[in-house]
Amino acid sequence: MTQPGRLRITGGTVYDPANGVEGVVRDVCIESDQIVAEVPASAPRLDARGMVVMPGGVDIHAHVAGSSVNHARRLLPEEHAADPLTAPPLEDGAVARSGTGGTVPSTFATGYRYAGLGYTTVMEAAVAPLAARHAHAELDDTPIIDAGFFVLLGNDDYLLRQLAASEAARARDYVAWLLGTTRGYAIKIVNPGGVAVWKGGGDRRNVSGLDDALGSSAVTPRRILETLAGAANALALPHPVHIHCNNLGQPGNSATTLESMKALSGQRAHFTHLQFHSYGGAPGKGWASAARAVIEYVNRHAEVSVDVGQVMFGSATTVTADSPVEHLLYASSGRKWVNVDIELESGCGIVPYSYKEKAAVAALQWSVGLELFLLANDPWRVVLSTDHPNGGTFLSYPELIRLLMDRGYRDDRLKAVNQKLLVGSALLDGLGREYTLGEIAIVTRAGPARLLGLKNKGHLAPGADADVTIYANDADRAKMFATPRYVIKAGTLVVEDGQLRRAPVGRRLAVRPEYDAAVTTDVKRFFEQYACVAFENYGAALP
Amino acid sequence: MTDRTVANATCLGCGCTCDDITVVVKQDHIAEARNACALGAAWFGDGTVPAETRVNGRAASLEQALTEAARLLNGARHPLVYLAGDVSSETQREAVAIADRLHAAIDSLAATAATAVLAAQRRGRAGATLGEIRQRADLIVFWAVDPSGRYPRYGSRYAVEPRGMAAPQGRQSRTLIAVDVGENLGPADSDGRMAIAPSDEVDSLEVMRATVQGRAVGEDARFRPAVELARRMTGARYVVIVADGEPGLTPADPARAEALVTLAQALNGPTRCALSTLRGGGNRSGADAVLTWQTGFPFAVDFSRGYPSYQPQAGAATLLGGGDVDAALVVGAPATLPVSVATGLARVRSVVIGPRASAATFQPAVTIDTGLAGIHEGGTAFRMDDVPLPLRPALEAPHAALVTVRALRERLRT
Repeated sequence: MTQPGRLRITGGTVYDPANGVEGVVRDVCIESDQIVAEVPASAPRLDARGMVVMPGGVDIHAHVAGSSVNHARRLLPEEHAADPLTAPPLEDGAVARSGTGGTVPSTFATGYRYAGLGYTTVMEAAVAPLAARHAHAELDDTPIIDAGFFVLLGNDDYLLRQLAASEAARARDYVAWLLGTTRGYAIKIVNPGGVAVWKGGGDRRNVSGLDDALGSSAVTPRRILETLAGAANALALPHPVHIHCNNLGQPGNSATTLESMKALSGQRAHFTHLQFHSYGGAPGKGWASAARAVIEYVNRHAEVSVDVGQVMFGSATTVTADSPVEHLLYASSGRKWVNVDIELESGCGIVPYSYKEKAAVAALQWSVGLELFLLANDPWRVVLSTDHPNGGTFLSYPELIRLLMDRGYRDDRLKAVNQKLLVGSALLDGLGREYTLGEIAIVTRAGPARLLGLKNKGHLAPGADADVTIYANDADRAKMFATPRYVIKAGTLVVEDGQLRRAPVGRRLAVRPEYDAAVTTDVKRFFEQYACVAFENYGAALP
Repeated sequence: MTDRTVANATCLGCGCTCDDITVVVKQDHIAEARNACALGAAWFGDGTVPAETRVNGRAASLEQALTEAARLLNGARHPLVYLAGDVSSETQREAVAIADRLHAAIDSLAATAATAVLAAQRRGRAGATLGEIRQRADLIVFWAVDPSGRYPRYGSRYAVEPRGMAAPQGRQSRTLIAVDVGENLGPADSDGRMAIAPSDEVDSLEVMRATVQGRAVGEDARFRPAVELARRMTGARYVVIVADGEPGLTPADPARAEALVTLAQALNGPTRCALSTLRGGGNRSGADAVLTWQTGFPFAVDFSRGYPSYQPQAGAATLLGGGDVDAALVVGAPATLPVSVATGLARVRSVVIGPRASAATFQPAVTIDTGLAGIHEGGTAFRMDDVPLPLRPALEAPHAALVTVRALRERLRT
């Protein structure tokens, strides 16, 4: 099959948990870019006997495109020099592009490497609306994968003004307008209120908890969470509000995390890179794992979903809109540091980093992530992520899968890490759980697709997008998941015998919620007063 | 075409990339570029551009020119692609694709600020988008630069005059300090000024950083004003240091560029601070952004090994000067080329696709005139602070740069 046409994948062992299929030998049929029930007997066949067939992977949270990611790339010439990528030879005379890797790869390398890993959908997790046009341009240069992005809103000056004025309806209309005009996919909150405080100067550098007021007593992290979670649900967005809590990376921050979850009790909300928010102890008084308390709350509350943000040992680059946190990391690590305050909207902080097995805090972070995975009751609400490239790169997912599936391997690795802070952690007490292939299929594709509201992704029923990954069933799960034998994207065979063969253009995932157009009059007035970009030039709406 | 007005047009006359220009078109000429400064008015001009296509100095069809351009570039052993000014980022993306396909070296106008870029790669940056300076800054230190010369509306649109959330009275809410280094003077209408001998500049910055960090700095009288300024900065709410990233009267000094970055970073302990590095126009910041996302490096990239490698010490001027290039493709306006690059291009066979290509002084083998991005062609450009802006063309040109460069790419060997 060279072009999207018909294909019958025969004899593979299929894991399609969204449709209740777990390890059943059956054919999967494709016509054009969709899964279909049947194709004629004459259709080309792909022999998948002995292999594992899953829907294409779905990354719910990664930093892959846009101005912050590009600042990180610019900061890492040494990494890029050490990891060059020649243009892969493609079929049909198509021309591929070269690039560079490292923790923050060039755009073409990002697309090729995700596809090579069997991932066909990726969500860029943090785009400032002001730079939405830039993010789209980068995604246009990121081949194969379907992609969308989350729009930063938790420190937006216009939004905070609506909160101060108790204009909840206008806040909701603003959110809807902003998502449409930026062609974004979901609402992102990063350290609600904290970045605005950091940008404001003066004596404060951050908020410390949910009820710290920002100027007006009506504006608190709690109100920001409530308003935006409410907006996402009222607008019936496919993905609920995507939350990076206050106090990321601080000892004792599990209290803030749990309080944030309770603040939104009963409302759908997604809490991202939960590992970075599940620490016990107290600032200045040491660290401990609080994974059990946090995941038990998640287990009991069906409205809450999370991704883990696992830390993997090795090189990483921390890149986040949570600029006050990056300042702390810069001050403590002495590494190079980027801070960019983004007008009226957000921030950007970057510090290259590495997690070492012998470092007590890194080992604790590694352990906390694994505890969250292994103590979670419902894999549909606990997604695999490393917060790429913050906890490790997406290329470390196969290793993470092995840690989850292979207790013996995990226990061996545990022995090698610094155990100073692991006292009382569930991992050190012994967690025997091993993820099954079906559960891996949930946490890497079916679950995130469902949480993102991508009805045609993450499963293999007729009508689904023909995004399929086929693995050799290797007992070494890291090897198995690192090098899929075949990857099909929208019906095109992109990876064949482990080699990238085709690199079609991916699709953009975006929402366009309805809103009361009166809001734009008010936003325009705000622009005239404060912005230095014309209202008409803002965003990234298509003509 | 009828007379018309295009509002919210974006000017590429300098790195300010003002997007509030109203272009008035009468009888197919730009009659007025409202809101534009003198630099911007000159950049827009009357919108007239030549529309010639030439091969070896003689008029040719577009088809002939593209065929000859492809032949010349396909036959080169050591080609160079250069991203000059006044093309959109969409066109820049196509040009980088050509360099990748040809296994060429590629450099751009963004390299004029190489010293600042390299300092940021070594140390990072403490920065802000220009609008954030407007909102927050209460103390602005112009370090050896008066933006009114090369960045005329920097003060009126961003840093000085406009009212911001934390600067409700605009200019009256801010204190401006001019630091004069030798002949490089800060703005005349500053509230205070300090003079530094060029030979003391880096040491002064280091003394200031030490002061900010609370380290002992000694009693050297030479540095007393610097220590005082550092204390004043520490006491401000949000400090902005403005410095020019483009070449000036004195050669760019890596130690100075790095000292500016580290001072700005250090000020983020006791207070908040952003370093605003001024950069030139023509969408050179777009060239930096595009090369970075496509290759991982901001300028001076070499694809000769089949992948991008970074050669910041061997940029276009060096390669051309050393005889290491046998054919060149310039995408953009040749008038924007640094002198060293234009001089070097005279030594090799070259193709120029861009605004006023036919006016290139270095006798290219092939020239294809296009319009200017932002006047005749749409797309995206990046402000000096990496904010992307749309371009709103008021006129039409016979050949669009994007379409022409793409047509060339499709003719190149695979």
